[in-house]
Amino acid sequence: MEVLERLFNVALVVATLRTTAPILLVALGGSFTTKAGIFNIGLEGQMLVGAFFAVIGTIFTGSPWIGVLCGVAAALVLAFVFALLVVTFKANEVVVGLALNILAGGMTVSLLKAIFGTRGSIFGHGLVGLPVLRLPNARDLGWFGQMISGYTPLVYVAFILVPVLILFYNRSRLGLYIRVVGEKPEAAEALGISIARIRYVSSLLCGLLAGLAGAHLSLGYTTMFTENMSSGRGFMAVAILIFSNGDPLKILLGCLLFGFSDALSLRLQTFGISSYLVLAVPYLVALIALFALSYRARPRIIQETLASMGRALSVKPNAATDAEKAVTRG
Amino acid sequence: MSDRIDSLLGQALAILFALGLGAIVILTVDESPLRVLVTLLNGAFGNPERIAGTLLQTTPILICGIAACISLRAGLFNIGIEGQLFMGGFWATWVGFSFNLPPVLHLLLAMAVAIIAGMAWIAIPAFFRARYNTNEVVSTILANYVAILVTSYLTINIFKRPGGLSETPPIHESAYLPELFSFSRLNWGLIIGLVLACAVHFFFTRMSRGYAVSEMGANPKFAEYGGIDIKRQIFVVLLASGAVGGLAGGVEALGVHHRFMEGFAPGFGFDGVIAALLANGSPIGTIFTALFFGALRSGSLLLEVDTTASREIITVIQALIILAVSAQITIKRRASDSTAGERRWKF
Repeated sequence: MEVLERLFNVALVVATLRTTAPILLVALGGSFTTKAGIFNIGLEGQMLVGAFFAVIGTIFTGSPWIGVLCGVAAALVLAFVFALLVVTFKANEVVVGLALNILAGGMTVSLLKAIFGTRGSIFGHGLVGLPVLRLPNARDLGWFGQMISGYTPLVYVAFILVPVLILFYNRSRLGLYIRVVGEKPEAAEALGISIARIRYVSSLLCGLLAGLAGAHLSLGYTTMFTENMSSGRGFMAVAILIFSNGDPLKILLGCLLFGFSDALSLRLQTFGISSYLVLAVPYLVALIALFALSYRARPRIIQETLASMGRALSVKPNAATDAEKAVTRG
Repeated sequence: MSDRIDSLLGQALAILFALGLGAIVILTVDESPLRVLVTLLNGAFGNPERIAGTLLQTTPILICGIAACISLRAGLFNIGIEGQLFMGGFWATWVGFSFNLPPVLHLLLAMAVAIIAGMAWIAIPAFFRARYNTNEVVSTILANYVAILVTSYLTINIFKRPGGLSETPPIHESAYLPELFSFSRLNWGLIIGLVLACAVHFFFTRMSRGYAVSEMGANPKFAEYGGIDIKRQIFVVLLASGAVGGLAGGVEALGVHHRFMEGFAPGFGFDGVIAALLANGSPIGTIFTALFFGALRSGSLLLEVDTTASREIITVIQALIILAVSAQITIKRRASDSTAGERRWKF
């Protein structure tokens, strides 16, 4: 019992929300391209340059807010190149995405060495992180106040963006256009929507949020830049996007799952479990979720199996489910 | 034939364009592109030892590149070669230091285990890709991270050499992959890679099973109507690709390091994928692109010593080349749409 209490408490919830935020931001960014029918494996690289240039901008101007803008601008440049090659030149999106990730990795390390003469990581140099926001009256709310107050601003942005994006996809014209382009490009064409333009816009929106995610990683989540500090979060986001189909609410659930497994595994480390195995947990969770949900996402195959099972048992599967419905209704 | 020369010319122009961009990048980090080029060439081909060093770097890139070719031909992306390499390398090393066997047998067993480890590591992503169409790009990338962490765990927490750094005990000499020359660690792995490239080329161009795989890569629907069992074929192709990835790890462990350690083979799997993409999925072409990337890698070691540029600048150049080539191929495709069907996969 004591062990469980040490594992599960308000601090774990806080840790979960903290670890969820960066992956949530980048996954919400990816939802734009997913909805527009682009498979964007380049999220990882966009996040990495976002993190790097956020740190550079902060060091050179002294303001973390300008740093955030620099990070977003850098990610937007990468997103623009992605759109240029994929949309205009119709290059393969996997190849372009992978190449941009490699470019981002090599470029950040090279610039790190060119500017600071070091490898590995930078901190200090007058680097300041984003301020922590303490909500007024949060103290009066007890444990709930502890849970919702005291994060850096981009954490709130990440969670607020979930309902914003739901409204965006269902209520705004641009959101509907993006969905039409992704789901039925022929229909979009018939309606006179420029597919290329919508794909550019969604790719840039994606870059915007991926850049914010990176900036959060280097200025909010930590206050430093490390080589390859996005460490696969962009790829995990792509896994979430595959099984959420880009729906903001499902993305939130998926990201909370990762944030939770991340936070929990960090705690397991204090119980003497090897850090290598602990670090592997989020990737394993991503893989298992991807496999399990792609299994579930094949209703046709499940139906086929049910049908063949039904034939073997000489029972009609539909009749059985109807009967079940009747039972549950009754 | 002139079409082929045209496409080679286009490829060369794209590479030149990328190198031009690379020169600009080098200028931005305050270094002279010409000096970088000369240092790279000197580092890669300056004397026999350096040439051997280049070939030593080429070997794993070539074998990983062949692994990538196998999946690309079938229209699949095995980006998990890095992970298969780590698994193959670790388990080959394990056989190398755990057993006492006669020389040739020991080597063959260790190689076989490397191949099986590579296959085992891709088996689950391959199964789900074949049966449920689960995106293999993401699953194999995520599996890379797991493979690297798990092999690190095995190395440091389970099999660490007592009193040593973060590495396993060395393998017995009976499991060594023999070296080719006395002055370099260059070994039979290069020969294995070259033979394998020819064998895979022969398989895809001269055998009906190979044709069936290419057919699937070009047009899966058509291949299915032609009576090919697509699901089975996807599974088998990915397993074969993983097997070659595992072999690359075995060659690296048994031929070069003779032990397993953290950071065992940085990025060879990814370089292999890029080399195969640049060669348009041709195993013979991959020999040359792997040599090109091997030279870049080997030259970059001197780059770090002689100039202020970091060796990662070469990964920037590699990425720029792939971006330029990926755009160039599609421009050509649109210019002569009648030949579009001949392309094995959409770049």
